[in-house]
Amino acid sequence: MFSQYFGNYLLNRGLIRPDQLTDALEYQRSMRLKLGVIAVNAGYMTPAQVEEIHNMQKKVDKRFGELAVEKGYITEQQLEEMLATQKQGHLMLGQALVDRGHLTIEQLQEALENYKKEYGMSSRQFNVVGKDDSLQIEQIFRDHGEALLGKLYSDYVTLLIKNLIRFVDDNPIVEINQFRSDITAQWFVSQEIYGKINMFTAIACDRDVFVKFAAKFAQEDITEPDELAQASVGEFLNLHNGIFLVNMSNNGVELEMNPQQVEQNRTLANPGKAYVVTCHMTWGRFDMILV
Amino acid sequence: MSSNRPTILICDDSLLVRKKMKDCLKEYGDFNIVEASTGQSSIELFKQYEPDLVFLDIVMPDKNGIEALKEMMAVKKDVKVIMLSSSGTKSHLKAAMDAGAHDFIQKPWEKSQIEHIIRNIF
Repeated sequence: MFSQYFGNYLLNRGLIRPDQLTDALEYQRSMRLKLGVIAVNAGYMTPAQVEEIHNMQKKVDKRFGELAVEKGYITEQQLEEMLATQKQGHLMLGQALVDRGHLTIEQLQEALENYKKEYGMSSRQFNVVGKDDSLQIEQIFRDHGEALLGKLYSDYVTLLIKNLIRFVDDNPIVEINQFRSDITAQWFVSQEIYGKINMFTAIACDRDVFVKFAAKFAQEDITEPDELAQASVGEFLNLHNGIFLVNMSNNGVELEMNPQQVEQNRTLANPGKAYVVTCHMTWGRFDMILV
Repeated sequence: MSSNRPTILICDDSLLVRKKMKDCLKEYGDFNIVEASTGQSSIELFKQYEPDLVFLDIVMPDKNGIEALKEMMAVKKDVKVIMLSSSGTKSHLKAAMDAGAHDFIQKPWEKSQIEHIIRNIF
């Protein structure tokens, strides 16, 4: 399994269903991370101790951290660390899954431990989801044999996140996976980049997401996948790739790109070494394919 | 189409870009707007309408904007062509300026950039 992301890990282990992941991802956008989840992840408290504090909070008007310190489960310093982590939005997905009843906190703890053991990842690396951190994204590619292309792909995905935030969604969450099987999409917008480096880039999505994507980017009332909708999604890809080319040019690498193409009901056969960047937006999900 | 109004040719394969540019231009004057969606049609419409100002994309089907610019300059040397592209790479900038482009705007543009150009040219 390639996925670096906890959501995919849970899916591939059969611990949650895709609809539960989607539900949790939607939910997590509006929530704040609870200290109990942070404490368990950090190894400061057991799930039973967290549960005990939660039960105490039903009776006394005190904060979680305050009670946990009083009980001697954590120190003041650990509480400060946990509060800092909370501000960084760590472990949001795990908490969302617990809050939505898709996992118990015990199941989450076990899954987190196995996940970290399997991938040797630190908490910081684990919490890359949704964060604009190019070094972490680069590490994902480097960890999986893309040492030479790691920086390139990392720059591309980092810029993608920035552009998604800039143009279509305040809080995108991306997952990076290896391209494993053929992809069929109702709407497929592609653009080739060529020169010293050759890349095939494409946005693949269903009709509903295509229309919403188009309306968001164009800031127009688009309700059908008509010519304007196609122009809009196409222009997003063109704009994103154009900025990528400018960045590469500033680093001394001159690249060119072909006009974007919009197709319906296209199947892309597994091209071998390629990636699928699944972008979870507040209004739907699409795949960015990088070959 | 009134002959008193300046003519502006917008060349971009994206219907969205053309629409946004038209909406933007409306705020700064009364123009005859002509649209082209490919490099080749850009040249044909340029010859047909002899526009006062051209907004020209670089990455377009059948002929890129730099080639189209060279052909336009060969027809009318003093035409004002503004390159409007998402790929403002160093090589594109140099090629556009060498070919005689009046200016180069990186997409997405700010309205103030378009206003500045319109105020300077008309």
